[in-house]
Amino acid sequence: MNETSRGFVILHRVPAYAIETEGLTKVFRGRFAGRELRAVDDVSLRVPAGSTYGLLGPNGAGKTTFVKMLLSCTHQTAGRAMVFGRDMREASARRPIGYLPENHRFPTYMTGRGMLDFYGALSGMETAARRKRIPELLNLVGLDERAHDLRLGKYSKGMLQRVGLAQALIHSPKLLVLDEPSDGVDPVGRKQIRDVLQNLEQQGVTIFLNSHLLAEVELFCREVAIIQKGKLALSGTVEELTSGSGYRVEALHVPEAVETGVRAHARSFVSNNGSLQLLYATREEANQAVDLLRAGGCELESLGRTKSTLEEVFMKTVGENNGDKQ
Amino acid sequence: MNVTAALIRDTFREAFARRIFWGFFGCCTALLLFLMFIMRVDVVQGAIATVTIFGRNTPGTDVQQLVHQTQGVIAMILYFAGMALSVFASAGLVSAVFEPGRIELLLSKPVSRTHLLLGRYAGNVLVVAANIVYLVAGSWIVFGVKTGVWGSGFLISSLCTIFIFSVLLAVIVLAGVLWDSAAVAIMATFAIMIITPILAQKATLERLLSSEWSRDVMRVLYYVLPKTSDVSVIIWRLILNQPVGSWMPVWSTALFGAVVLALGLWRFERRSF
Repeated sequence: MNETSRGFVILHRVPAYAIETEGLTKVFRGRFAGRELRAVDDVSLRVPAGSTYGLLGPNGAGKTTFVKMLLSCTHQTAGRAMVFGRDMREASARRPIGYLPENHRFPTYMTGRGMLDFYGALSGMETAARRKRIPELLNLVGLDERAHDLRLGKYSKGMLQRVGLAQALIHSPKLLVLDEPSDGVDPVGRKQIRDVLQNLEQQGVTIFLNSHLLAEVELFCREVAIIQKGKLALSGTVEELTSGSGYRVEALHVPEAVETGVRAHARSFVSNNGSLQLLYATREEANQAVDLLRAGGCELESLGRTKSTLEEVFMKTVGENNGDKQ
Repeated sequence: MNVTAALIRDTFREAFARRIFWGFFGCCTALLLFLMFIMRVDVVQGAIATVTIFGRNTPGTDVQQLVHQTQGVIAMILYFAGMALSVFASAGLVSAVFEPGRIELLLSKPVSRTHLLLGRYAGNVLVVAANIVYLVAGSWIVFGVKTGVWGSGFLISSLCTIFIFSVLLAVIVLAGVLWDSAAVAIMATFAIMIITPILAQKATLERLLSSEWSRDVMRVLYYVLPKTSDVSVIIWRLILNQPVGSWMPVWSTALFGAVVLALGLWRFERRSF
């Protein structure tokens, strides 16, 4: 909200979505023989501002092409892509975006400091602002003083990934698009990168993550979308997608007669050293089993809803779209 | 301005790192030192008696002519050999920008594609221009201090050389955008550098060609393509302080460069990476 000199108040509508695509399509056509490849096919996606969003899909699903269209590196065949309500084809619409590509090739003749200075200038930052921000950022991503003036050609893969992240953050973007951000980084570095991203999330920065590491996406993202063969196969919050449809009951010292009773309606069970784990499809069945176990004098160890992992959801979605009946 | 300066600075940094700049600089310095030592001036009672260049004694009265001829030779070496080296070195600087993993990051920035490519183009022209100006201005000073001949033609000729390089660089840019290959860009530019001096002999060619349509093709090619050979004649005349008959080779070459550069920018705008 801004106040003008005449005392009028102008209300700026804050776009609800950081990323919005409508029917985004990319068709690659072969130069000869007229072959066509629909790399991205009619994808409509909405990423709420301030969210952490993961884009998943098997190799060749069209994720990278989708991201490249978002950044206007690749021109779409049909549809449109908007960032904070602005068409991505306008150069100035890319100002609030920070991007870390997957197979980046940073110029090896630059130093870490020089690289941030160059990309900061391209992002529209003034010299004084760059001078102040560069050492802060390099320290934030865990690069020590010696690395600041070292040529990128001498950096390890993990160091390049860190300086790449710093490059994406140089102009304090409102939207961060990261393609495999922790690729080649050791577990300590991964934790460090995750901490940086969590801190940014708290500051309201939208984070759009393209990663093969499903556990990483599950740990960090609130929402995900799965792309398969160029089409949007599934999207939703991680909580919704991973919440299972069953109930799990675990009890100790279950007599054989009681066990036979509770197993009758169980979807599956595991009996091991006096411990019995049971899985029920409905809450009523689980309650009945608890009543039987109580009446039989058994001790209840745990009771709760089952939960799928993101990997299970991913495999199921990808399998279904491949035509596998699991 | 900030963005343009950053793009130009980056091109210089890459030229330094690839030793291109220092290679040129070293060659130019060696040539300047050579000039300083091969020229000896004998002064008798405050007037130049003889000047010795390349071991040849020249009476003081003919000094101006000798200096102009030597400057002309330097300008021609720079024009043909220096140009070939510059094309060879610059092709890599242009195609490097289109490398996968580098171009995506550049395109994700809030800078138009035209601005990005023009910034790189300007940086590349400036890298070569810095060395041409260094050599020409340096040798001009050496000649001026030693002989007192301070004609401006030699200095102006450096602008013509930079101009021709900027036209050839437009060809490198177009080839780079179309094929992502430094080798193809070099071949395309060298083809122009080889064909155009042949086309410049159009009177002879017209006699050699048997059919009217082939003569028409030759004439079209002559007027469309840059006139590197004719521009070299203009440079020679400028240095010798002779009048330039026609500036058509310059403006038609400029037109060719502008069209080719515009085509390169247009293709770059439309291309998907």
